[in-house]
Formats: sequence, structure tokens, C-alpha cells
Amino acid sequence: MAVTVLDQAPNLGQLYAKAAVTARGRGGDLPDTRLARHGVQVDPAHLAAYARVCGMPLSDVLPATYPHMLTFPLQMALMSDRSFPLALPGLVHVRNRIEVLRAVRAHEPLDLEVWAENLAAHRSGAVVDLRATVSAGGEEVWRSTSSYLARGATAPDGAPQADVEVSVGGLERVVATWRVPDDAGRRYAKVSGDVNPIHLSGLTAKAFGFKRAIAHGMWVKARVLGALAGRLPDAVTVDVRFTKPLFLPSTVTLATEQHDGGWDVAVRNEKSGTEHVVGTVRPL
Amino acid sequence: MADTSKPATRKAAIVGGNRIPFARSNSAYAQASNQDMLTATIDGLVARFGLQDKQLGEVVAGAVLKHARDFNLTRESVLGSKLSATTPAYDVQQACGTGLEAAILVANKIALGQIESGIAGGVDTTSDAPLAVSDDLRRVLISLNNAKTVQDRLKALAKIRPGMIAPEIPRNAEPRTGLAMGDHAAITAKEWEIGREEQDELAVRSHHNMAAAYDRGFFDDLVTPFLGLSRDNNLRPDSSLEKLSTLKPVFGKGDPAATMTAGNSTPLTDGASTVLLASDEWAAENGLPVLAHLVDAQTAAVDYVHGGEGLLMAPVYAMPVMLARNGLTLQDFDYYEIHEAFASTVLATMKAWEDPAFCKGKLGLDSPLGPIDRSKLNVNGSSLAAGHPFAATGGRIVAQLAKMLHEKGPGSRGLISICAAGGQGVVAILES
Repeated sequence: MAVTVLDQAPNLGQLYAKAAVTARGRGGDLPDTRLARHGVQVDPAHLAAYARVCGMPLSDVLPATYPHMLTFPLQMALMSDRSFPLALPGLVHVRNRIEVLRAVRAHEPLDLEVWAENLAAHRSGAVVDLRATVSAGGEEVWRSTSSYLARGATAPDGAPQADVEVSVGGLERVVATWRVPDDAGRRYAKVSGDVNPIHLSGLTAKAFGFKRAIAHGMWVKARVLGALAGRLPDAVTVDVRFTKPLFLPSTVTLATEQHDGGWDVAVRNEKSGTEHVVGTVRPL
Repeated sequence: MADTSKPATRKAAIVGGNRIPFARSNSAYAQASNQDMLTATIDGLVARFGLQDKQLGEVVAGAVLKHARDFNLTRESVLGSKLSATTPAYDVQQACGTGLEAAILVANKIALGQIESGIAGGVDTTSDAPLAVSDDLRRVLISLNNAKTVQDRLKALAKIRPGMIAPEIPRNAEPRTGLAMGDHAAITAKEWEIGREEQDELAVRSHHNMAAAYDRGFFDDLVTPFLGLSRDNNLRPDSSLEKLSTLKPVFGKGDPAATMTAGNSTPLTDGASTVLLASDEWAAENGLPVLAHLVDAQTAAVDYVHGGEGLLMAPVYAMPVMLARNGLTLQDFDYYEIHEAFASTVLATMKAWEDPAFCKGKLGLDSPLGPIDRSKLNVNGSSLAAGHPFAATGGRIVAQLAKMLHEKGPGSRGLISICAAGGQGVVAILES
């Protein structure tokens, strides 16, 4: 497998544009390439902005979701490349699993590597896993799996069935109510660089078949972890399923339940009960 | 051999109190600041006990809703009062527990012999409340302030958007849950199956008890008129079950069985209260009475966010700890002052103490604390009648209860229980 080392983070706006014009005529197998960056330093101002937008405490330890800020642009570069078999516009983030192997401090130089694997069949299309690993001083400290669904796409013959479900308890106890404002997508786009038009405004979201702009799943996940601040183990697995889109603006509730030294969580619409995110948080 | 590690302590005496009548938000005190009200209240206490130009050991007070400029609220109030300017002061804040916590702090210093006298107090205004600029605008203004060149200043100014201008108004909501305190209380009311009628009954009793206490002059030496008000303007002497039963629920909305109305919940209120504490010797030297002593106190906190306990249930946990330390049972008291944040809170608190399963499972007690004689509860009215200026409630209760115990006679005992935001609770024992 070939590893390409980039010396800076790719520009996500340009990648979305490139992916849009090269969306047609994709297919075949996943590319046999990995993208990497070495010695990446976290920008303290960016970390502060991220923590603020996600409602997380700012400290010298990276939030569990923060390394995704570093690896996501590389994954986007991989997915927008012509060799990637699925068209980026219309890809839906359906599951995200993060494992923090140990607390990662904000000043540690980090080595990143991302790749795609496990193109699998799903009842409404094909699912691909975008993987990422982060190391510090040669030791793996963080890894993630982001599963994306391409509606209407077909997985190659003999592909396994996709596994995107996360099972949780009944989650009847609401512990917080959040008003999610209509600019939540723009705010997170500003710090994450994830300028996918479905998050930015009603108009741009409509162009992709959504009735209104929708919140970034990774933002919701980060907010959930913010609500559990102080009650998370250093080494932790956070596995969430993005079920139904969270339309902006909305009022949503967070329900939590203690399980196996960790938590089950659910974010639902306050009125309709529509489930946006369910997940598990477990000590590693 | 004598234990020399523990300093000799004494019990702090409660000499008396003074408060201004409490006023519903945006009414009589709409133009008064926290400092205005606290200063006036201290001066009322000074007048009552002849403290003019006296240097006291310490003045301890606080406010829950506080302007940034009021960082030294209590000291500034002392400087503006008739007390000697050489009286030290400091601020405390424990949400609705502030006033009682201030009294405990003053009492503890007296108990340790570090001071001979002190004032504990609290004040809050929901009318002259601090408005904050939005976080976005605040950041722009900070960078504007830090800009060195005209160009940098223009750059900072250019970041201002119309949407940033709307101010942030303080809400009576828990930061971590986004729920109003009343909505939290509604969850607890539902869990403990507290009915609408018993809540309304408690509210009516509070109004009637307080109105009767005013009528017989009980508050004459506890309250000083302020800005044209001589009684709490939330007080409804003619309150009745019929009237209260017509009100629609305001908390726990969306639940057809919601029970909490504006009538059985405290309104937003402005006001201030103070209590004079001292050593017995200091009181005697100054020819002042001793109404009661502050015997002991205890705080507790519950995990209302993820732990499944009700936001206002912490006093339930604090009580058995304090009772055990003093070798007392819940029935060993002549008067009970359970702060009426909401009628349902008082009822849920008592129900929890009576519940064998809760007392065993949550409080670790072999037998429940048991019932309280209702005829001894909030006998001169409480927060549902007077209103509840958050930090001022503790001082109102301490002064009121100390006077009741003094009237009852030597050896009589009173119990205080106050719930506070953030899942906290403060309880205390007074004895005459």
C-alpha cells in the first residue's frame, strides 16, 4: 500500500468543489493508498475555538473528537480523488467510532494516517469506512472509523454486509435540553473546515435534497462529550450512530444512562422524539 | 490528657435581623441596585442595634445575580453604610444558599474566636439584572480594546454583525441541563407524586401565616420599610384555594398532569436581608439581646445532571448527617423552616424523609427520618408569600426563626432547610 505524505492540510472548500465536478463515472474498488502527515502541531487558538463551538471545556488535553479535525481533511482528500469509487456529494456520515488509547496532550507533535477500507453492502446503497490513526512519539494514541453511506451505490460482488448500528439502552432520563440555533452549522463549519453545503444554509441544503440545513453529526457528538466532561475515562471508546438528520434550528434533548463504567447516550428532538444520535461511551 | 488539637469553640449568638420588604420583579425596587438595597438593609440593622460608626468583626454577604462592577459588593455596601469604614467585608455566593451560608461563615469565625461580631446578609435584584453582551460581540470588543493601530481597530469593528447586538439576559436555568429550575422541580414533583391541591394548600397557608404575622406585629423589628414599601408586595392575605386552583401550570409544560403554577411557585423577587451575629460576651457588653444560637450546619450536593437525583433534593441528604452529629431526630424541633422555592419542593423533601425505601437506599438509614408536625412548619410564612430574592432568603429565615425561638423560650429548637441551584442544599440548627 502506498503512503503519500502531505506537508500541509488540504483545503476542504477546494476538495468539495473538485469532488462535485468529478462526481460522475465513479466506481470500482477502493484505492490502495494512504495519506499521512507527520509532526502536526495543534494550533492552541483553533483548539480554543473548537472547544467553544462544541461546548467543551478548554484544557491541555485534546477532546476525544478533536484529532478528527486533523484527520478529516486527509480523508476528504482521499474521497474527492478520482480514484475513490463513490461520489462525495450525497455521502452521508452514518456512524463514527473513536478510540482514545491514552490522553493526548495539546502540545504533542502528532503523526496522522488515513485510509479507506471495508466497502460493504447496505440495503439502501454501499457503505465505506474511512479510517484514521494518530500517533505520538511512534505510539498509536487515537484511532477512528467513520462510516459513510452512498445511497444508490452498489458494493462490489461478494462484499460483506455493512454494520452501522449501535445498540443502546432505553435512555429514558433526559439530562439536558439544548436549543440548537440556525447558525450552528456555519459555526462548526468555520472551525472544522467542513463546509459541506448541506450544513450551511437552507438554500444550499435544499440543493442536496434536505428541507433545511442540518447539524454536523460530529458537532453533536462533541457536544455530547462536552456534557459528560469530567465523567469520561482517559482511555475511551465513543461509538455513535447518526440516525436522523438534525434540522436547524431545533430544540433537542440529551438522555444518558450509566453502563459498564461508561455511558449510553441519545440525542432526540424535544417535541417529536426523532432520534438524531445514539451512542455508547466505554472505558477502553 | 486533654485534647489540645481541637480549639475551644463557642456557639455564635443571633442578636437580630433586618430586611427590607421583598418586592416582585420590576415593581417597587425596579430602579434599585443590589448595592442600594444591601446598604439600606445594613443601615436598618445599624439603626436597630445602635451600631453607628462601630467596627464589627466582618460583614459577609452576596448576590446571585451580580454585575461585573459589583465584584466587591459587600465591602462597597459597608463603605456606603453607617458602619465604621474599618469593618472588613467579603462576598460569597452559593445560589439560594448564599444567605444561610454567609450566616454559617460568620458564626464559625465567632465560634473559633476569630471575630466577636459580624453581619451576614444577602441581596438580589431580578429587575436591575446584569445584561451581558453576546459572546461574539464581547470577543470583538475585547480585540477592539486590544488593538493598537487605527487599522487594527477598524478591522475589529468590521467583525460586528447586527445579530451580535442582542444582549444575553440571565435566565433562571441550570447551565448544564438548559432546564428552568421550575421544570427541574416539576420532574421531582412528578417522581414523588406531589398533587396540585396539596401544593396550593401549602401556598395558601404560607400567605395566611405571613399576613397574620404582619398583622400581629411579628415583623415590626425584622423589617424596615424601603422605597415606599412596608410589606412584601407578593403577599396575598386573601389568597384562597379557589383562586389558586384557577391558575394554569407554568412548569413541566407539555405534561397534561403538570401541577406547578405561578401560585405555588416563588416569583422573581428583589430584596435584601441581614443578620447580626456575635459572641454572647459581645452582645452583653453592648447591651444587646441574644435571640438564639446557631448550633450547627451542613451542606450537601446531588448529581442532578447524570445521577438521576432531583435538582432541589440536596437538603434531604444534608439533614441526616447534621442530625446524627447532634444526636437529634427530625422530631426534636419546635419549628421547621423549609424554604418554599416551590410548594412541591417542600412536600417532596418531607415525603423523602418519610419514605423507608429512599431513606435506606439513598440516605443509608435503617429507619426513615419520619414525619414533621405540619403545625410547626413555616408558621410565619415563607418564600411563597414573601417572595424569594435568591441570596436574601437565608437571612430572612435565620432572623425570623431566631425571633420565634426567643419567643418560645429557652431550650427551644428550630431547623432550617434551603435548596439551591446546582443541586446543593444547606441545613442548620438554631437553639434559643
